[in-house]
Amino acid sequence: MIKVEQISKSFKGNSPVDSAIATSVLNGVSFEIARGDFVAVMGPSGSGKSTLLYSVSGMDRVTEGQVWFDGVSLSEMNEQSLSGFRLNKMGFVFQNAQMLKNLSIFDNLILPGLVAKKEKPQVIRKRAKDLMKRMDIDGLCGRDIREVSGGQLQRASICRAMINNPEVLFLDEPTGALNSEATDQVLDILEDLNGEGMTIMTVTHDLRVALRAKKVIYLRDGAIAGEKELTAGGNREQALDDWLKGV
Amino acid sequence: MKLLINLVRKDFKRNPAITTALVVFLILAALLMAGGLRVAGTMISAYDQLNQKAIPPEYLQMHKGEYDNEAVGHFAANQDGIQDFLTVEMLTINNASIIYQGETLEKVLMDNSFVVQNVGFDYLLNMDNQVATVKPGEVGVPVYYAEILGIAPGDLITLKKDDYIKDLKVATIIRDAQMNVAMTSSKRFLISPVDQLELSQKMGEWEYSFQFLLKEGVDTGVLEQAYQSANLPANGVAITGSLLNLYNVFSYGLVAMIIVAISLLLIFMAMLCLSYIIRATMAEEQKSVGEMKAIGFPGKSIEILFQMKYLTLMAVAGIIGYLGAIPFGNFFSEAVVRYCGTGSSPGLIWGLPFLGMFFLSGMVAFGCHRVIKKNLNNTVMELLRGSGGRRREGHYTLPSSGFKYPNLTIAIGELGCKWREYGVILVVFVISAFLILLPMNMKNTIQDPSFITYMGVGESDIRIDVHFSQQINQQQDQVLKVLENDPEIEKKAIYKNGYLQAQTKSGEWQSIRVESGDQSVFPLVYLEGSAPIGSNEMALSYMNASELEKKIGDVLTVEYGGETMNYTIAGIYQDITYGGKTAKAAIDYRNEDVEVYILYLSLAEGINIDTKTNELREALPNIKVTPVPSFITQTLGGIVNNLSQVAAAAMAIALMISTLITIMFLKLIMAREHSAIAVKKAIGFTNRDIRIQLAIRILVILCLGIIIGTVLANTLGEAIFSLMLSSMGASRMTLLIQPLKAYLISPLVQLLVVAIAVIGGTKAVKHYHIKEQIIE
Repeated sequence: MIKVEQISKSFKGNSPVDSAIATSVLNGVSFEIARGDFVAVMGPSGSGKSTLLYSVSGMDRVTEGQVWFDGVSLSEMNEQSLSGFRLNKMGFVFQNAQMLKNLSIFDNLILPGLVAKKEKPQVIRKRAKDLMKRMDIDGLCGRDIREVSGGQLQRASICRAMINNPEVLFLDEPTGALNSEATDQVLDILEDLNGEGMTIMTVTHDLRVALRAKKVIYLRDGAIAGEKELTAGGNREQALDDWLKGV
Repeated sequence: MKLLINLVRKDFKRNPAITTALVVFLILAALLMAGGLRVAGTMISAYDQLNQKAIPPEYLQMHKGEYDNEAVGHFAANQDGIQDFLTVEMLTINNASIIYQGETLEKVLMDNSFVVQNVGFDYLLNMDNQVATVKPGEVGVPVYYAEILGIAPGDLITLKKDDYIKDLKVATIIRDAQMNVAMTSSKRFLISPVDQLELSQKMGEWEYSFQFLLKEGVDTGVLEQAYQSANLPANGVAITGSLLNLYNVFSYGLVAMIIVAISLLLIFMAMLCLSYIIRATMAEEQKSVGEMKAIGFPGKSIEILFQMKYLTLMAVAGIIGYLGAIPFGNFFSEAVVRYCGTGSSPGLIWGLPFLGMFFLSGMVAFGCHRVIKKNLNNTVMELLRGSGGRRREGHYTLPSSGFKYPNLTIAIGELGCKWREYGVILVVFVISAFLILLPMNMKNTIQDPSFITYMGVGESDIRIDVHFSQQINQQQDQVLKVLENDPEIEKKAIYKNGYLQAQTKSGEWQSIRVESGDQSVFPLVYLEGSAPIGSNEMALSYMNASELEKKIGDVLTVEYGGETMNYTIAGIYQDITYGGKTAKAAIDYRNEDVEVYILYLSLAEGINIDTKTNELREALPNIKVTPVPSFITQTLGGIVNNLSQVAAAAMAIALMISTLITIMFLKLIMAREHSAIAVKKAIGFTNRDIRIQLAIRILVILCLGIIIGTVLANTLGEAIFSLMLSSMGASRMTLLIQPLKAYLISPLVQLLVVAIAVIGGTKAVKHYHIKEQIIE
């Protein structure tokens, strides 16, 4: 479904000295994500995890290489087409649930659906209600985003990401700002969604998140240091822990 | 100091948009404040010096015809309040006889007289503001002509009547504290006594001006009263010093006053923006304040640090503004300097703007103090989170039926939630629309043919003045003969103008100018009541009615030719001629008492006014023929020109400010909404969508601003215009608006300019990288 081919990404600083030197963040990264996959990207701070996520999702341009989505090159799309692509085929969840302050939680959820205009507003509203019920936040419809907890807001973010029935869900440290209880709730939901066929790519520091994935990619200094398929059954935690120590 | 410079440098690096906006507004406020004050200082200083050097009279009575010189001298000698007295002998020469560069001065509608330098007071000054002197064969030309005709020293002025020709070489350009400006309808040329004597034997009519200088504290009203009661020569207008002042200030002070007024408006606007930007920058500084508070910095030290930072910026802006105000102020003081000189108080010109900078710095320090004090009231945690004192915005609801125009719905919805933030830019747009429209409407009003009705007559095309002279009757007959059976003249009426004594409420007598003739031919719109009918009714100008305290139906007692008559006041009208003090009634003047016969003509459809004027001038060589449209523009003199200048300058300033503020405001908004923009981009809105949403918000505010600005220009502006003209006799002005210009072209120009600014200002949306913003 997603094919990442030798992508590199470098930045130039603002100062006269820095602008002359490009800092390389990703160096020739390649991997594939199959439909229905659940990929967790791990690595130390500054290893390029978030840059990889935003490059794969077309939110950021790569310096070199190609990202293919169902055979279509995201690298060659213009901004307008990429926006449409994000709206219709991708869902995003960020570390700090980013929502529009001037809309209620419910309206934040349905906004991408109404903008996409793929379905009737009633259908979108019903789906939003169903998703909220499923995430156990159906009582928060009219609430202001500042009136709910971080966990509730993050679940609402997942609902928003799901509103247009995306083909893939991108998550950036989805549990970074949550307590353990809220983390478990969010991870259960992600696992369920993946079980239903949703493709997921997440960036995380958290071992608990990686444990729910089917594949873990470990990034170091902008390059893939190792990839591990996590098989069902057995002591996944121990296996992952051992692999991380060795990678 | 180094620490402060480092702080400022870091600010520019960390938040270039907001810091630049802050600096731009500080410079703008400084420039306008210093510029406006420089114009005001120059005006006060220059006008003051002119009056000090020229010593204009405080009361003067014009007179045509024979008079008893001894009686006037006796009166002056026996009045306690009079400090000095002067009889100015003015040789009035027809404009057709004055030739400059082969052309007569007929197109100039001023009455021109040739005088010699006065002794004692009322001096004509040269361009160095020294008492001017001319030798035989030389002439001093009024600065008004130097301006409108470009007459310069060394040029020749030829006076010609029949076979007599006299060439006078222009020796100097003169400033005349009394008759400098276009609004005083007479101008004085300075010649030598020898030439005056020679000329008087060949051409011209004598007119006399009895001028009085009063002792300290003596009211002109008292002298006016005494003069009128003493039955002294008064076949002409009486003018008080305050009226002269008014004409002067209104004429060359108008541009300066409007510039000062515009500056005040713009300073208000700049201060508003400044306070908004200080709040915005301080909102960004919350974290720094929190950190300082956390490590135990005393509140006062934090306040001083930030205040010093803003005051450092203010000092830089102050220097730039003060220096920039020199060319800015000089440009707009040009007219005042030309007519009055550079003035004698450089302290005012240089010191006032300097004080302005102090005032501005005080405002900035106070603004910082308020915002920082508010911030310091928050807890450290609130400050570190950046949530201290931030106003909570409301919600808008998405339509249940889905989006028809998503960008429009979102933009309007967000605007509804953030409207408080847009208050500042709304005020800017309101003021801009007001600034564009008011001078434009004022100019259109003065230029409109119907403006003549504020000059005490109905609409007409040509005016013919037959002034008092020995041949007044013959001249009148000559005029009537020329006009008789002329098919190009649709209608005409002749009015006799003279002076009567009217009794005031306190029983004293005062001279009033009364026009007698058929008031139905060129009907006036009366403020109250209607035109006088029959021999017992009189209409008073608004100023006369106020001064004599008369209402419709009241009776006014007048005295003429030894006979006392009672007139019922039938109507009150607006008039800005003759100091606003005129009246209309059927008076049977004796020929020698008629100061002037005025004929008004209305031409048949399709007849060109200027062509007809020239034709009549040829047929009536010694009589003043005036096209009414030019009469209005020339009587109100440079005012129309000045207003055109002001209208253009106001429009340019308003558009420039709108552009600048739109761009700065957008930068601020985008900086404050970076996370919302990032979210929108992440969920699929394009850059174009986001730019459209920002544009809609600004343009909605602009439309609202234009509407409010237009309403204000038509209501408040009309009141301001009325106020300006009320001192001249028009109490109720109606602004005559050209709908195409006022309601279509200028809003469209404003819309276009702001739209371009929005396109430029939102370009940066493209460079907002979602990743960086969300990670941030």
